[in-house]
Amino acid sequence: MNNEIKSVCEEKTYKLIFDSHSKALFNFIYYKCGDSEQAEDIVQEAFIKLWDNCSNIIFDKAKSFLFTVARNLFLNEVAHKKIVLQHKSNLGPDRTDETPEFLMEEKEFMVKLKKAIADLPEKQREVFLLSRIDKKKYSEISEMLGISIKAVEKRMSQALVILREKIGDI
Amino acid sequence: MEKYSQDETFLARWISGDLSTEELDEFQKSKDYPVLKRINDASQRLEAPKFDQQNLFNKLEQYKTNRLQQEKRTIKLIPNWAIAVAASVVIAFGLFYFLTAESHYNTGFGQQMAVTLPDRSQVQLNSNSDLDFKSLNWKNNREINLEGEAFFDVEKGQSFKVYTEEGVVEVLGTEFNVISRANYFEVRCQEGKVKVSSTDANDEVVLLPGNAVRIVNNKLEKWDYNISEPNWLIGESTFQNTPLSQVIISLQNQFGITFDASNINLSERFTGGFTHKNLNLALKTVMTPMDISYSVDDNKIILKDLDN
Repeated sequence: MNNEIKSVCEEKTYKLIFDSHSKALFNFIYYKCGDSEQAEDIVQEAFIKLWDNCSNIIFDKAKSFLFTVARNLFLNEVAHKKIVLQHKSNLGPDRTDETPEFLMEEKEFMVKLKKAIADLPEKQREVFLLSRIDKKKYSEISEMLGISIKAVEKRMSQALVILREKIGDI
Repeated sequence: MEKYSQDETFLARWISGDLSTEELDEFQKSKDYPVLKRINDASQRLEAPKFDQQNLFNKLEQYKTNRLQQEKRTIKLIPNWAIAVAASVVIAFGLFYFLTAESHYNTGFGQQMAVTLPDRSQVQLNSNSDLDFKSLNWKNNREINLEGEAFFDVEKGQSFKVYTEEGVVEVLGTEFNVISRANYFEVRCQEGKVKVSSTDANDEVVLLPGNAVRIVNNKLEKWDYNISEPNWLIGESTFQNTPLSQVIISLQNQFGITFDASNINLSERFTGGFTHKNLNLALKTVMTPMDISYSVDDNKIILKDLDN
């Protein structure tokens, strides 16, 4: 962008922050709790906090502020144990010519995979999904979670090992 | 499970494409590779649930407008701290005025007044009299200025002082009567103990119930009186060996009349009393025993000594 200091209080800037981070924030919390309503509440709460403190937060720090607030809000929420991830799978257009057997088999695999992901421990699951669904780099994830890149890599590897074991051979 | 189970970040690096060519080649030959590859491929087709971004943003906008309206409202008004300061100033001035201001009471001719002091001590103010005191710190500083006549019923507490032109009356919870006029000062103790000290004579007298003291012409006189005898509080003034001048002042105060007393001897003493209810009767009871005749002329009562 430019060198001008953007005020978070400014309507345009606030909208920009919202557009670029609200979905990521939502997914991030969703991967933790598997409850989209709760995730939306936390996103809303985090953006309200951002607005209330807009004069004290510089633009560059807005993102990490949002994720820190959301993390803390999530920790404050006690009832977050029901983890039922409901991912939608979409086969790419190039796969439409697959045989019915293959499609069946593929569908079964997706069900298995979704269950395995849902059963992952929270820490591994959020890293895995942020990487695979949101296509976040490890450095970005480390910033979101407030942990080191090395720790992100470990969790990512652990997630894959666990999923591999759960799914077994094909 | 081979290499990746020993190397904690191996799979992570595979996902991010950070494996070396040799590492990747070797990994692709392992039996876990097809499963992991499929997991990776399939998981990238997953999606998070839909999230109504617009709806949420609208909610935030709503919140923000409410917020701004609240702020606007607050800005329009005088800031809270200013109200607080203003209120404090008003209260401070009010208290200052209230506490330091002298309470002032006075009665006109023929009037009487009951005054309750801050500690619930009672003062009965006789006609044509003035009473001042300060409410501030009254408990520790019970001081009263008196001109005229008053009867005190003092609650127990710190010393209670009545300042007059001629002397000071100091008590510790009692009932007493004080008269303070030009060149005349009289205290009667009804109950308890009263200490009287004259301003000029440096005299100090302690009075017990029934004791009375007066200062006439800078001379201190003590006498006893009957505490059950009627007094001005119940509509009758009594005197005991009192200079006639004072009796006449009492009559003037009570009835709002003026005397021409140029033809009588005012230093003669009078013992007796007069009622407050009837001027004629009062004049009669005072003047007849003193052999003084009286006649009314132009709202003035002319007194004449019958002896001469």
